Amino acid sequence: MNKTKIELYNVGKTKNRIKILKDINLRFGSGKIHILIGPSGAGKTTLLRLLNRMDEPSSGKIEYDGKDIKDIPVLELRRRIGMVFQIPVIFDGTVKNNLSVPYSLRTNSNHVNEEDLINALELSGLRNDFLERRASDLSVGEKQRLTVARALMNKPDVLLLDEPTSALDHFTGIKLLESIKKLNEALGLTIIMVTHQLEYARILDGRVINLVNGTIVRVEEVEDSFLDSESI
Amino acid sequence: MEGFNYNLIDISYFDLLISLGLIIVAAGLSRFQHMGIERDLFVGAIRTFIQLLAVGYLLKYVFAFDRWYLILLIIFIMIIVASRTVTQRQRKKTKELPYIVGFAMTAGSGITVFVATQILLQIKPWYEPHYLIPLAGMVIGNSMNGSTLAVERIDSEIQSRKLEIEAYLALGATARQAARTCIRSAMRAAMIPTINSMMVVGIVALPGMMTGQILSGTSPLIAVKYQIIIMYMIAFSVAISSFILANLRFNRYFTSDHRLKEEVL
Ligand SMILES: Nc1ncnc2c1ncn2[C@@H]1O[C@H](COP(=O)(O)OP(=O)(O)OP(=O)(O)O)[C@@H](O)[C@H]1O
Ligand SMILES: [Mg+2]
Repeated sequence: MNKTKIELYNVGKTKNRIKILKDINLRFGSGKIHILIGPSGAGKTTLLRLLNRMDEPSSGKIEYDGKDIKDIPVLELRRRIGMVFQIPVIFDGTVKNNLSVPYSLRTNSNHVNEEDLINALELSGLRNDFLERRASDLSVGEKQRLTVARALMNKPDVLLLDEPTSALDHFTGIKLLESIKKLNEALGLTIIMVTHQLEYARILDGRVINLVNGTIVRVEEVEDSFLDSESI
Repeated sequence: MEGFNYNLIDISYFDLLISLGLIIVAAGLSRFQHMGIERDLFVGAIRTFIQLLAVGYLLKYVFAFDRWYLILLIIFIMIIVASRTVTQRQRKKTKELPYIVGFAMTAGSGITVFVATQILLQIKPWYEPHYLIPLAGMVIGNSMNGSTLAVERIDSEIQSRKLEIEAYLALGATARQAARTCIRSAMRAAMIPTINSMMVVGIVALPGMMTGQILSGTSPLIAVKYQIIIMYMIAFSVAISSFILANLRFNRYFTSDHRLKEEVL
């Protein structure tokens, strides 16, 4: 089953008359790991934000499972396509409170299945005795894991990650990436991650999409790109 | 009306002139201490004199003329001026702001004044200006302050919490759910001055209207009962208008498909 999940057709994005993305054509296959790489200011964040409609493209079309994402109710789309930001945003209260947010947004109730909570914690590499801890007391690395776990509470098909390791030290960053890779393997979750470090691409062993100046310069399997960068 | 046998002393214009002496002394002090506020002090004193005297004559005329449409017109003007004041206080003046402020204040003060004059006091005729105008003025003035705080707070909350708002949106929250903390905080900010003054009324400060009633010969107990009603009216109308306002205002920052607008980001 090689169902194509997200497709971009001639997608452009202009902000304040500056062309940030130009004519992007891309296909993100389902169940895979995709890495958006490129220098600062290339448009990686801009591109990522179009995929769950945190922003709208200025031109072109984005399809999810063959359907224009504009025709999918936006709240549903954002639950299917979860997002983790560069800087972890933690809500008030305990870890449990944080994890309950997606459920309570949907149902106005706080009675989340305890099993789901533990599951999300374990999948994102947090110990399950964290549940009653105050979320603001967590370390930055733990906070970032918490935001991953929180996004998982919606049971998404796709997870967008915008430089999730940038607030973390090298070692913690790599540990997070390993958890992300496990998510892909265990749940078949499609991962689209922004980074500007090629080394992370190797750890994740995914497809690399190289974005420079708002255009895609190449798409390659990780081995090739790694060889390339070493030969430069 | 129950009251004291008490001769109200009229104040002559000569008396007013003498009281101006107090301002002159204060200005002298400013001069002496190089505070540099003499000019403002005089301008303020003259404006007080002219504005209040003009209102005095206007009200005298309105009370004598005694027509419902003239009284409603005056209340309408009060709301317009108050809405403009709220708008001018904001750093982000948008086209729709005066309208939503006007609407929120009309609703908040309208309901309040209606309940107070028609259901509670049952004034006759229904537009009796001796009641309607000061009560409306009091309520509108306080709603104006509450509304200023509400708009200011919701604007700054949304700016400072945009990361949090986006985190909520990305989890599938509606715009309203994502802005809930901001809306609450705006309403709280609007209500706090009113709640504070309810806490200390009579202890720290004697309200102006009560003082005025007592000075003009009303029994303190009656004046106090009026004041109690007024405090409740103010609390109610500030709550209603800031509730409406915060709920209308936050919308400006979002698109219909639950995105934060780019100019905010
Ligand atoms: N509102 C805006 N108006 C004009 N230019 C903008 C606006 N927002 C972003 N840009 C520009 O668009 C370009 C792409 O920004 P984007 O955040 O997508 O880059 P990025 O690839 O994620 O970079 P980084 O690795 O530093 O996060 C940048 O040059 C940025 O300055
Ligand atoms: Mg970025």
